[in-house]
Order: sequence, then structure tokens, then C-alpha cells
Amino acid sequence: MSIRPKHRKGDPLGDGLTALCGGALALNLVLVFALLWVLLVNAAGHFWQKELILFERIDAPPLLGEVHDREPIPAQSDSGVSPGDRVRIRVGNRELSGGDFVWLDLTTVTRESRPDDGVLLERLEWGNFYGTMVELRRGEEVLATGPDRVWSAFQAIHLEKQREFEALHRFEKGQIGDVNYRLERIHSAQRKLEFEQPDPETLGRRSEELDRRKETAEVEFEALTRQLFAMREEFVAETLVMEAADGTRKEMAVGEVVRAVQPNRIGTFSTLSLYASRIKEFLFDAPRESNTEGGIFPAIFGTVMMVFIMSFAVAPFGVLAALYLREYARQGFLVRVLRIAVNNLAGVPSIVFGMFGLGFLVYLIGGSIDQLFYPEVLPRPTFGTGGILWASLTLALLTVPVVIVATEEGLAAVPRIVREGSLALGATKFETTWRVVVPAAAPGILTGLILAMARAAGEVAPLMIVGMVKLAPSLPIDSHFPFFHLERKFMHLGFHIYDLGFQSPNVEATKPLVFATAFLLIAVVTVMNLLAIAVRNHLVNKYATSAV
Amino acid sequence: MGTSSARNQGRPERAPTARGRLIADKTARWAVTAGGLAIIASILGILVFILVEVAPLAGGAEVERQREWSWDEPLPGAFLVDEHRSSVAFLRDDAHLTVVSTDDGRIIEEIPLLDLEHDGDLLPLQSAKGVPGRQILYATTADQRVLAVRVDWTVTFDGARRVVKADPDRAIVFDFGVDQSKIDLAAVRIDPDGEAVAAATTEDGRLVWVRRLVEEALFSGETTESWIRNGRPLTRAIKAIAIDEQLENIYGASMDGALGWWRVRNDQAEDPQWVRSGDPITRLSMLIGDRSLVVGRFSGALEVWFPVRRDDEPERLTRIRQFPALAGPIREIVPSMRNKGFVAATEEGNIGLYYSTSGRLLWAGESDLPASKMFMTPKANAVFVSDGSRMIEFAIDNPHPEVSLKALFGKVWYESYPEPAHVWQSSGGTDDFEPKLSMVPLMIGTLKGTVYSLLLAIPLGVFGAMYTSQFLHPSYKRIVKPTVEVMAALPSVVLGFLAGLWLAPRIEQILPGLILMFLLVPISAVAVGFAWRSLPMSFRGRFLPGAETVLYIAAVSLALWCAIRLNTPFEMLLFGGNAQEWLLEATGLQYDQRNAIVVGLAMGFAVIPIIFSIAEDAFSNVPNNLISGSLALGANRWQTVTRVVLPSASPGIFSAIVIGFGRAVGETMIVLMATGNTPILDWSPFNGFRTLSANIAVEIPEAPLGGTLYRALFLAAVMLFVFTFVINTVAELVRQRLRRRYAEM
Repeated sequence: MSIRPKHRKGDPLGDGLTALCGGALALNLVLVFALLWVLLVNAAGHFWQKELILFERIDAPPLLGEVHDREPIPAQSDSGVSPGDRVRIRVGNRELSGGDFVWLDLTTVTRESRPDDGVLLERLEWGNFYGTMVELRRGEEVLATGPDRVWSAFQAIHLEKQREFEALHRFEKGQIGDVNYRLERIHSAQRKLEFEQPDPETLGRRSEELDRRKETAEVEFEALTRQLFAMREEFVAETLVMEAADGTRKEMAVGEVVRAVQPNRIGTFSTLSLYASRIKEFLFDAPRESNTEGGIFPAIFGTVMMVFIMSFAVAPFGVLAALYLREYARQGFLVRVLRIAVNNLAGVPSIVFGMFGLGFLVYLIGGSIDQLFYPEVLPRPTFGTGGILWASLTLALLTVPVVIVATEEGLAAVPRIVREGSLALGATKFETTWRVVVPAAAPGILTGLILAMARAAGEVAPLMIVGMVKLAPSLPIDSHFPFFHLERKFMHLGFHIYDLGFQSPNVEATKPLVFATAFLLIAVVTVMNLLAIAVRNHLVNKYATSAV
Repeated sequence: MGTSSARNQGRPERAPTARGRLIADKTARWAVTAGGLAIIASILGILVFILVEVAPLAGGAEVERQREWSWDEPLPGAFLVDEHRSSVAFLRDDAHLTVVSTDDGRIIEEIPLLDLEHDGDLLPLQSAKGVPGRQILYATTADQRVLAVRVDWTVTFDGARRVVKADPDRAIVFDFGVDQSKIDLAAVRIDPDGEAVAAATTEDGRLVWVRRLVEEALFSGETTESWIRNGRPLTRAIKAIAIDEQLENIYGASMDGALGWWRVRNDQAEDPQWVRSGDPITRLSMLIGDRSLVVGRFSGALEVWFPVRRDDEPERLTRIRQFPALAGPIREIVPSMRNKGFVAATEEGNIGLYYSTSGRLLWAGESDLPASKMFMTPKANAVFVSDGSRMIEFAIDNPHPEVSLKALFGKVWYESYPEPAHVWQSSGGTDDFEPKLSMVPLMIGTLKGTVYSLLLAIPLGVFGAMYTSQFLHPSYKRIVKPTVEVMAALPSVVLGFLAGLWLAPRIEQILPGLILMFLLVPISAVAVGFAWRSLPMSFRGRFLPGAETVLYIAAVSLALWCAIRLNTPFEMLLFGGNAQEWLLEATGLQYDQRNAIVVGLAMGFAVIPIIFSIAEDAFSNVPNNLISGSLALGANRWQTVTRVVLPSASPGIFSAIVIGFGRAVGETMIVLMATGNTPILDWSPFNGFRTLSANIAVEIPEAPLGGTLYRALFLAAVMLFVFTFVINTVAELVRQRLRRRYAEM
């Protein structure tokens, strides 16, 4: 006879409720993964090239495009049976058809095919074009006709045009940008002169000199502009005639084409490299077409720069405050109150900090700076409007409690004996703190800083008030003195998401891009958080073995 | 050993600390203390700064008696002042406009208004008046007509000096066709384009009105005028009269205090509506927007009335609000040309500055000019009072008249509303818009979003935490806890975007499926729980406790999938194929795509990790000896959890919920993106709302620095700050107490 463990009497209610708790936990986990999955699938799918499908229809011209969605047509009133499926196709050709996407009822389709010579063109303007190549011309001269011959002739010219595009871009940003900047400087110097009203003699002398400089700059500018026009003309010299699925023809400059693909002809390897090149474009290029296409580099750059400026502000101040609270202040009721207060500031809504940033930093401090240093351009504000500096400082205020709390924890974790050892060896309190305690608490400080940076990277609400714009004309860093332009507006990943998703004129077409941006933001924030945890663990281990 | 040798040989030589090091130490101590305190002070200074920004809302108006003029030869009563307060124009009885400089009180211009050869029989003019709140003067002529003139002011610059000149339009003479009887009271309005209306009462008991229409010839630019004249007998004697710009409404007050309202349609007056209203009325005036009627009484009382439509009944003239009275009979009421404010004065010269919407008396004072005329400048920044021989200027600084405690938090009866209501609508399309700044819809909206998100977050967070801490093996816990906590790091803009653009359209489609989820998910979890239990111990024993979580995950995923698949049949079965239509028909609830359910899900998602993390700590920190004791006494696992662990961890769970609450209250991006941001007062889960924080984000770009809206938004920030700060402090104190209690165990 075997001995079996005796069970207590069953408790079905308890078991059921336990199961519910288990279900709650499971649902939490499912939600996390579902969210990450939704983001990942939508973001990753954005860059993947789908097949081009040609739908021939009963009583309408055919449609060529990529299938994006498929769903049953909602049932008619009472039958309850769906008459069939419908698909959402991206047909592009915005200038011809008016929209990017169409819904197509599959019951009206007579034939589906995958034409080999179907071409997808990504363009600088008007979004994608789907169709077949007909002709390649240079002015009146026809260089090639027929899909295949045009395709091969196109490749070489397109490569050339891309090089020209780079050169054009460099020329505009570089030489013309420089002259523009000089003109701007001269102009503001003139205004300043008018404003200061020095004695007539200096006024005459200096304004004459400014006029002279302006004249040379303008001459130079004109020459450069002529050169630019010539380059532009050359850039659009070759044109490509395309035919859309419904037979409409459209002529466009080869230079306008960013990328040409024959999706139904390329193999797996090409698809992958296309995928990689699109991701590269997304990460490193500037946006096109009011942010709906191209990359998000300025937003990444703006976010990173803002977070770094914030770190420079938040690290020393946070550490100083924590040192005071933990090492120098007499521990008592007051310090306890202060500690709770600082702690709770982390829970104050971020929009409140945004309001403070606007009222205090932008209007009060920024306004005063303008009065003192830039009176000649008033009422146009320089610092008295939202900008990257104010945004960074606002976020610094928002995140300083995080750093203080983490640093304090780090300081508290340094064993007493370490301090006493140092003091016993004759070190002063300052030396003990600076050379022994702070290094030992470094993991805490670093963790706090990384957490602060992660929070800052994801925070949007306060920034909407103090300094972001949907499209910043220039980065906050450039080659013109003083190189860092702290008063400039900037782009930000989080705001980019809000703006693209909710203010964009063409939400359907931008949605994939928003998913990609959101995924990138989440990746950055999550990696930073994981890094914080890793740093803490690593340094704690190191410290734990070396000091005790 | 050190001690004995020290005792024997005296104290050991202690190496003197170098001076430099000591100074460095001292300096560091000072620097850290000063710096630390300064940083903490400046952080706390945030609240102070925000409060300072809000404070001016509480202040009243500042009125300062400034310049004064007197004339040896008295100037007649009615006058106007330009918006720069540099000139005063009087209407003289010989139909001249006398313009006086406010620099020195000297006459600078005399402008004839009539061609006297032609219109000599109009003179002399009598009882000149100004139209309250307008740059219009009028007077009764000798032949019982009414002459009115609209005065424009032209501004030119002579170098840096501003020169303001009066530029009166051509005078309009209203002929009421009442040769035999005398005109008693008159009210006049003139449009900038020359269209004009006037109404008057006559001594023989008639109400008469005239409309002047102007047509401009297409090519020549010549204008031709035409007149429409009408009238009707009065049943009561009228003491005061007011009309609106289009002459659609005429208001009159009788001797016995009754208020009459004639609606004019196609220049025919309907039968008047008389309302008995109390004391004798001495003065009537329309506020800007021509909707509110200010009533001044013999007793000094002041009221605002306007027509109100309730349900399907016809509009009734209704008393909306009463203001603090002035001492003495009201003689003049002058509305502001900028906002819903007005100035009232009594016979004795007492003056009060009022604001209609907020029901406030902003300032009360007196001029020593009894029985005087009054004019409020177009910028509403000064009032001029004159009795003809003297004139006094009262400068008004009145930045935030529309705010009062009642206007912010109480029900206010706004113009065109059937009843008092809580409304937030900070700006409108027209100049005469009445700002509605009630915080209540925003507070309710904040609460609504919070409640719906906590409905999801509390059960999932707390029970999930309970299961994690009590039923999972530590090696699983090490994976599960950080995974849930990763959610906390998700930027809310991403959650908001997903909620608004991805979730909202899907929820709209699977609304019945959502109900199914609420049923299927718990059922599947319980089913899996019992199934696992029924497996033989020998099999279960091979896994660490908590391994069944994988089964739960599978079951829950399956349940969610089933709910979505079964959506259509379920919708057919219960709601006849269209849940939203059913909803509208059965309950009258409108379904918005971006609604409280979507926000609840998204914001719940943001709050879950916070509640989960803190609650899990609270559960895990329950001393082990309590649990062991309970188990040893024969309680099973669940009994231990509910009777021992839960009560002892309950303060920690309380603070977890409270902190989650605080987070949800202040969340901005999710609500901004996942609701329609309509500030409505409604608890329905199927429509949107606007929270305090989202309101700040929406409105701050349009709020001019220092304006009322700007400060009202700062007030919202203060409310958020104080509320979350208090809530977090309570939670923190509770947690600290709990920690001490555990430490004692």
C-alpha cells in the first residue's frame, strides 16, 4: 500500500480566487507583450517591400498597388453573412487620384496578377508612384522606350542624379547657407546700429561699412544663386514618362525619384537590402513632405541634444542636493519633511513643470535676456520664446528629484565603516565625502542619471509648451558661431509622434512612420532603463567585493 | 594597546591637519549646505512661482482718480472721449461738436454738425445724451425729432506726437412722425455703415421706432437712404428704455417697476411681455453683445436680465443675477465696449464697477459730482464723469474681472443658456463672446478618466502583485516583476498614440467583444486554475510553484482571441448587429470613437505598473514569520493570503492605489490623444472628456501672457500640483508607518 500525501479539505472558493489572481497577472503580461508586438509588427512592416498586385475590375479601370489590409465586408442588415472580403490598397499616385489608399471590394475583381514590370517610385514630392515605365527622355531627345530598356537606362542616370542631389544639398546648406548667414548678421548689425543711435560720425562710418559688406555679400549671393539655378536645371534635365495602371501618363524628372523598385522582380536578398536601406533613410535622413516621408534624423538629434543639456544641469545639482540631505544636514524632522517633499515632486504632473518653464524660464528669464542683450530685434523674441535650452532646463527640474532620490539611496548604501575608516586615517569630511563616499555611491548616481535621461527622452507634455516645433528649419548645432544655438526650436521624437499622428493632413499614410518612430522611442527608453539596471548591478557587485 | 601607551606617555602626537585642507573642508561644508538648500528651495519655489502667477486673479479692480478739469462757462451734458483719452467731444445745443483737449482743458475745435441755413428749425437741441457703450451722441430737436451723430476719431502722428481729431459722421435726424406730442425718452443705435435705428416714447403714450436703411449704388458709390417708421400705443408709462443694434428687441421699464419686452419682427412689434420685478426702475442698458439687459433701480439695486428659452416654451425675460447695490437711485449705467462689464452711478455720485458673468462688484467709490453724466473709454480703462462745469477722470486697472470663485467653481447662468451651468469655453469667434471659465467640467473630466483607468488598473495591478509575491517562485518573480515594470517606462505619448489611432478604431468595432472579454477572461482563468489543481500532485510537483502562469497566459490569450472572433455573432445575438445603434436607441448614449473606455484602457495600462510595483513590495515585505505562523496553524495558502498577508499589507496597497491615482490625475498625453477633448459634464463611458492637464496643453498656446486665460491655466496647474503633492505625501507617510511597523516585528 503506497503512502499518499494527505490533502486538506478542498477550498474551491480560495482556489477560484487564486486562479483569478493568476489570470490578472497573466493578463498584465499578455498586455505588455501585445503592445510590444503591435508596435514591432507595425513598425517593422513599414520598411518591408510588399508585392505589387494588379487588380482588374469589372466596370472600372484596373488598380495597381500594395495590399495593406484585408477584412470581411460588414454584413448587410439582417442576413448576417458577409458578401465577401475587401482589401485596402496603397495605390499612391496622389497627384492623379487624390489619395494614397483605396478600399477595393474583391467581389468586383476579375483578375489579380503580379506584373513583372510594375515599378514603385519613391519621390521627393507627391509620395509614391505605382505604374510602368514608358520612356526616358532628355529634353526632346528620347533615350529609351519600353519598360525593360528604360529600367536599365534609368539605373545609371538615377545614380548620377542622386550624386547631383547630394551636391545640390551640400551647396545649398554650405556656400549659400554661409552667405545667407552673413547677410542675416549684417542685417541685424544694421538694426542694432539704428537702435543704439551713436553719434552721427560713427553712425555714418559704420553704416557705410555695413552697406559695403552687404553689397559684396549680395553680389556673391546672386552669383551663387545663378549657379544653383544651373545645377537645378541640370538636375531635372532627364525626365521619365510613367504610365499608371489606368493608362494615365505622367512625366517626372529623374532627379525627383528617391528610389525606384520593381518589387515583383527582386529576390530575397535585394528585398533585405532594400529593407536595410529604408531603415537607414529613416534614421539618418531629414523628413520630406511635411514630415510624412523620409527620415526623422532631426528629431533624434534634437532629443539626444536636449537630454544631454539636461544631464549637464541635472547631474551636479541633483548630487549636490543629495549630498546635503544625506551627508551634511543634521538628520531631523526638517530634513525628513524636505526629503518627502523632494520625493513627491517626482509625482507632480509634468505639465505643471511645463507651465513653470513657460512662465518663469521663457517669459521671465528669457524675456529679461532679450531686453538686456537683444533689444534691437524686439519685439521678435530671441530667448523669450520656447527653445532647446528652456526645454532642457524644464526637464532638468522635472527629473532632479529622480537623481536626488537615487543618489541618496546610493549614499545611504555606503557602509558607515568606510566613512569612519577614512576619517580615522585623518581625512577631512570633505575629503572623505569626495574621495570615498561619492565614488562608492557612483552606481546610485549613475542609475539616477540614466533614469532621469530615460524619463526626459519620453516626456512630451511639458515640451509642447516650452519649445518644440513640428519642423525645425535647422539643427541646434551648425558651423556658424557660436555653434550651439540654445535659443533655437528643435524637433523631438515624442512630439513627432503626437504631431504626425494627430496633426498630420494625411494620417493614414503617415501611420506606419509613426509606429516606427514610436518603436524607436520605446527602444531608446527601454534600453536606457535596462542600462540603468545593468550599471547598478555591475557597480554594486564591484563595490560590494572591493570595499567590504 | 593604543590606550595603555597613550595613558603612559601622554597623548600621541597628532599630525596637524594642513590649513589648506581645513579651509577646503569648511568651504565645502558651506558650499554644499548653501547649494543644497538653494536647490531644494528653488524646486519648492516652483509652487510659489505658480501661485504668484495665479494670485492676480483674486484681486479686484484698481481705480484711481486722476485728472480733473473745470470750465468757467459750463459745457452741456453729453460727451465722448477717444480711446487714447486725449480729447473730449461735447454735443452743444446749437448742433456743434465742441472738442476739448484733456491736456489743458481748452477747446481745440468746434465742428458744426448741420447745415444751419437748411436745418435751422431743428435748434435748439435739448437733453443731449450719449449712447451707453458707443461713440454716439444724440439730442431731441426743437421740432420733436432726434438728432444723432456717430463720432470717429482719426489718429495722425506729428513726429512722435500723437494727434487725435474728432471726425463726426453726418448727423442723422430721426423723424418719428410725432409732431403733436413731445418725445420723452429715446434710444439710438448707429452702425458704422450708416444703418441706424431709434426708438422713443411720446408724451401721449406711444412707443415709436424708426429704422434707417442705406443703400449704396454699385458704381457711383452714392448712397440713398430710406426710412421705416412704426409704433404702437403703450399701456403703461415708461421710465427707461433700451434697444439692441438690430432693433429686434425693445425693453422698457414702467413707473411701478415692471419690465416690458417688445419683440420687433419685420418692424412690427409683438405684444409686450411684462414682468413684475419689484422696485421702480430708473435705468436700462444693454451689455456688449446685445443679449444682457442691466436694470438699475430707484433703490440702488442692479440686476442683469435676459430672455431665456426653457424646453419648448417661448422665451421669457428672466432675472439672471443681482449685484451688490449702490446707495441711492441709479442714474447712469454705462457698459464696457470690451467685455461684459459695466459702470453704474447714482444721483449722489456713487460709482460702482461691475462685471456681469462673475457677478462681481469690482470697485465702488464716489465722485463729488452729483447728477452727472458718465463715459467709459473704448478700451475700458477709464471713466470720465462730468456735470458740465467740472470733469473727473477715473483710471481703471481691471485685468481679470471675469473671474470669481463662483465663476470658476459654481454654476453660472451664461447668456443664451437655459439655466445656470458649469461650462468651460475660453474663447469664441466674436468680440462680444462671454468667456466661460468653469473648472468643474475639467475637474470632472479628470476624475472620469482617472476612475475609468483605475477600474482596470486596481484589480489587475493589485491581484497581479498578490499572485506574483505569494504564489510565484522567486526565480520566476525575478523575470515577471521587471517585465511588468518595463511598462512604467513606456513614454505616455506612445500609449496615447496607440490608444488614439490603433485601439480606438478597433474598440469601436469590437465593442460587444469587449464585454465578452470581461466574461471570458476570468472564466478561462478559473477553468485553468481548477484544471491545474486536478492534475496529480506527482505531476505538479515536478514544477516550481508558479509555473502554471504559463497556462494562465495561454488561457487568457485564448480567451481574448475568442472574444474577438465571437464579436460578430455576439453582436448579432444581443444588439441586432450594431451595438452602437442599439446603445443609442436603448440608452440614448452617443458613441464617440475616442471615449472614456479607450482612455481607461490606455491610462490603466500606464498606471498598472505603478500599482503593481508598489503593491508587490508591500506584499513581499510582510514578514515571513507571520506567513509561516499562519501556515503552521493549519491555514491554507489562500486563507493565509487573505487573512494575514492582505490585512497587514493593506496600508501599502492603499498607498499603491493612491500613487496610481495621482499619476492618472496628472497624465496629459494619453488623454490629449485618446479623447476628443470636449469639456463636457458627463459620466458616460462612451464619450470623451477634457482633463485639467490636457486643457493646459490645448489652450496654453492661445493664452496671451498675463491674460485671464493664462492665469486660469496656471490655476489648473496649481490644482494639479497641490492635489498630487498632498496625495503623494499621504501615501508616503502611510508607507513609512508601515515600514516602521514591520521593523518592530
